[in-house]
Amino acid sequence: MDSVFFYRNNIKAASRSGALQKIKIALQPNISVAGWPTETGSNALAGFKALENATVAEHAVKAGAQLIGYTRMSEFGFGLKNSMAGSVLQKKAADVELVLDLAGEARLAALRAGVCGFKPRYGLLSRFGLAGLIPSMEAISILSMSIKNIRGILQAVAGADERDSSMPEGKTPDLKPTKIDPKKIKIGVIKDILREMPANERESFEKKLNELEKAGFAVKELSFPDFSQFLAVHQIVGSVEASSCAGRYDSVRYGKREPQAKNWNEMYLSSRGAAFGTLLKSYLIQGAYFQFESYAAYENACRLRARLVAQMKNLTAQADFIILPAVNQAASENPATLAETYTQFIYTAFANVTGQPVLFLPDKSGAGFQFTAARLGDGQLLSLGEYLQGGGEK
Amino acid sequence: MEFEAVIGLEIHIELNCATKLFCDCPNNPGDEPNVNTCPVCLWFPGASPRLSRAALEKAALLCLGLNAEIQPVSAFDQKVYYYPDLPKGYQLSQAHLPLSRGGWIDITDEDGSAKRLRIHHIHMEEDVAKLVHEMEGRKPVSLVDFNRAGAPLVEIVTEPDFRTPHHAMEFLKALRAQVRNVGSSECSMENGTMRADANISIRTKGTSQMNTKVEVKNMNSVRHVGDAIAYEISRQSAAAQAGEKIVLHTRLWDPEKKVTTPMRAKFEGPCVPDPCVPVIKLSKKEIEELRARLPEMPADRAKRFVNQYGLSAEEASYLSADAEIAVYFENLIKEGVAPRAAMHWLTTQLMPAAKDRNQELSQAKVTPARLAALLKMLARDEINANAAREVLAHLFASDESPEAIVSAKGFKQVSDRGEIDSLIDKVLADQPGAVADFKNGQGKALGFLIGQAMQASGGKANPKVIREILTKKLEALCKA
Ligand SMILES: [Zn+2]
Repeated sequence: MDSVFFYRNNIKAASRSGALQKIKIALQPNISVAGWPTETGSNALAGFKALENATVAEHAVKAGAQLIGYTRMSEFGFGLKNSMAGSVLQKKAADVELVLDLAGEARLAALRAGVCGFKPRYGLLSRFGLAGLIPSMEAISILSMSIKNIRGILQAVAGADERDSSMPEGKTPDLKPTKIDPKKIKIGVIKDILREMPANERESFEKKLNELEKAGFAVKELSFPDFSQFLAVHQIVGSVEASSCAGRYDSVRYGKREPQAKNWNEMYLSSRGAAFGTLLKSYLIQGAYFQFESYAAYENACRLRARLVAQMKNLTAQADFIILPAVNQAASENPATLAETYTQFIYTAFANVTGQPVLFLPDKSGAGFQFTAARLGDGQLLSLGEYLQGGGEK
Repeated sequence: MEFEAVIGLEIHIELNCATKLFCDCPNNPGDEPNVNTCPVCLWFPGASPRLSRAALEKAALLCLGLNAEIQPVSAFDQKVYYYPDLPKGYQLSQAHLPLSRGGWIDITDEDGSAKRLRIHHIHMEEDVAKLVHEMEGRKPVSLVDFNRAGAPLVEIVTEPDFRTPHHAMEFLKALRAQVRNVGSSECSMENGTMRADANISIRTKGTSQMNTKVEVKNMNSVRHVGDAIAYEISRQSAAAQAGEKIVLHTRLWDPEKKVTTPMRAKFEGPCVPDPCVPVIKLSKKEIEELRARLPEMPADRAKRFVNQYGLSAEEASYLSADAEIAVYFENLIKEGVAPRAAMHWLTTQLMPAAKDRNQELSQAKVTPARLAALLKMLARDEINANAAREVLAHLFASDESPEAIVSAKGFKQVSDRGEIDSLIDKVLADQPGAVADFKNGQGKALGFLIGQAMQASGGKANPKVIREILTKKLEALCKA
């Protein structure tokens, strides 16, 4: 069994041309490619082959890219257990990998592999053909050694898709590189995050801030006392959406059907019980709990989400970019429970709650950093990344 | 103790859209099982719903046609429950932010007074798949037909303003007329494009308390709704008299036995906002554009028919209820038929004849122009009423003009005085007894003689001319 690939595509296109003709793309098996085993890392979809191409896959192929296969993923992409995201880039078997980011998975996978990871803003890439779990938060994200490749992919696959009605209508956004002049750029840092960081993490983070100042950027302290609430909002709203979303996996038309059941109800219960892993089951049960038993708490979380989105909008208006840590070093690398899984995402989940773009950049310290911007800042974020990596326009 | 009932209705109406609510599959539930399906309405992984604009507009027109207020923002929720007819585990419905709020229908109460029955809200939702239970040899099997899955529905939830079965039946009849009039649905309870459930509770007359209600389902006609409500009111009243407590539950109407029996309630799951279907925003301008597309409403049309054509209120409301009939009626008038004759021939002759032949007025060969040509010949005394009825039957079968049919079949009325004169002379000679009766003052002998003359003409003579000449001749005989 291949340790990195879940499925390899052995059929090579005869001739390729276009902006991505030299690019090899690996994907996760939750992004549909017609005829491929789109099993989303779950027994609930065992044997399911996608009927149509996801819009992102379709556009990438049209631009000349080669889809080389599906990499191993965690169940529905939630958490990083069993996920091999990033490995294919480390092994230089692909130039780009498309990875779903539900709470920060793609960014943490990029950190693990020492590559760049970009979570575009919600609605920039079509979700058509994505077998997802948390529709209002997850985003297909792009991992690569090179930000130029990330931009190339974005330019090829972004834009309105009439098959995904959750996308904003209108023209494809301008994702061209822009000039970065550090003297004109303010980088914000959320002091409420700094205050809560363990001393050693804080030290290396402040070192990074000094480097930025030395490079000519202005660093500005920003206040966001409610930042820590992003995680709870994500967990409540995310689990409720996941519970609904996974309701369709009933083993009737695909997946593993339990043979012993006497009637439909029994088959449904036992098949789902056997198909889902422990982590996902606890997530779905938590979501069902909020749906059935504690709806008011869910409504509160939705209201809080709206407030946090407004506060973040206000914050991003006070600086050109905001820098955040990525990894919670206190979190377990192999979380056993839902709660432990979530502690991995204390610095990342905010962007899934708000839908804003985030760029993860690796760093020689091994920790790496996240940069985020206002909602439409995808293009500028990539330009900042290119500048900091030493490849951008100066 | 005297009781009164408090009744509210929940009515599902299937919109007559070409496609389903969230995909482009044809909205033809009756086709071969599972032909009208796609990844969206089968809810395969990766599919995403797209709200049909046509369905939204039909639903909005329906709301406007019921005086409801379209909401600037409405949204779909997931009604969570697990059942084989719903393979994604939730039904998309508008639970928290419905398409419209308010609205009403005016009916005539049993004592002839006007009564306004209010609507609480109207929301859109998708239909679920159909389960078919069959035998495979001796083994029972349940099959799922997805043709209906995702079909566009609206649900109308009324206020508990109803007190009698009459209110419910009149409401449903007016609702059907108004929805058909805006063209959003056929609203046939018999064909299942309209389903009505009733919530019924009773209380001591004159109080305003709201007691535990019982829901009654499975009524397949307006009549059944009335019968089921009447039954339920007397059942609950008897139970209350006997000191029994009414508990919240659902009952099924049995149209054969004419009783309601308790059924196991369907599990009511929670409703959470759906993150995939975008929130529906309708601007004032869009709503006004939709309102401009509304046809004339039956009640307004009835008033106009009274004023413009001198019909009675009852005649006018009968002709106005159905847009098809109203249009036909006005087309007859445009073709030059007098309003009363148009009303009379349409309601007593054409509609029963079309019904006998199972034809819709709009599809029948008897177009307004052809019927008008016939009625104008009648008005000009070129044919008589008997002949006109016979020609009408021919019009259903042939494409020939009424004039051609009249001359080919010899229906032309004889008004030639000379011809009728000699015909009458012969009748008077053949019927001396009747002539004698007339002389003795028996007036009904005249009718008999007219009938004889008519018969002698083979039904073609103009009865007015016969009467005139015959009367003159008899008077002359009397004087002689
Ligand atoms: Zn479909």
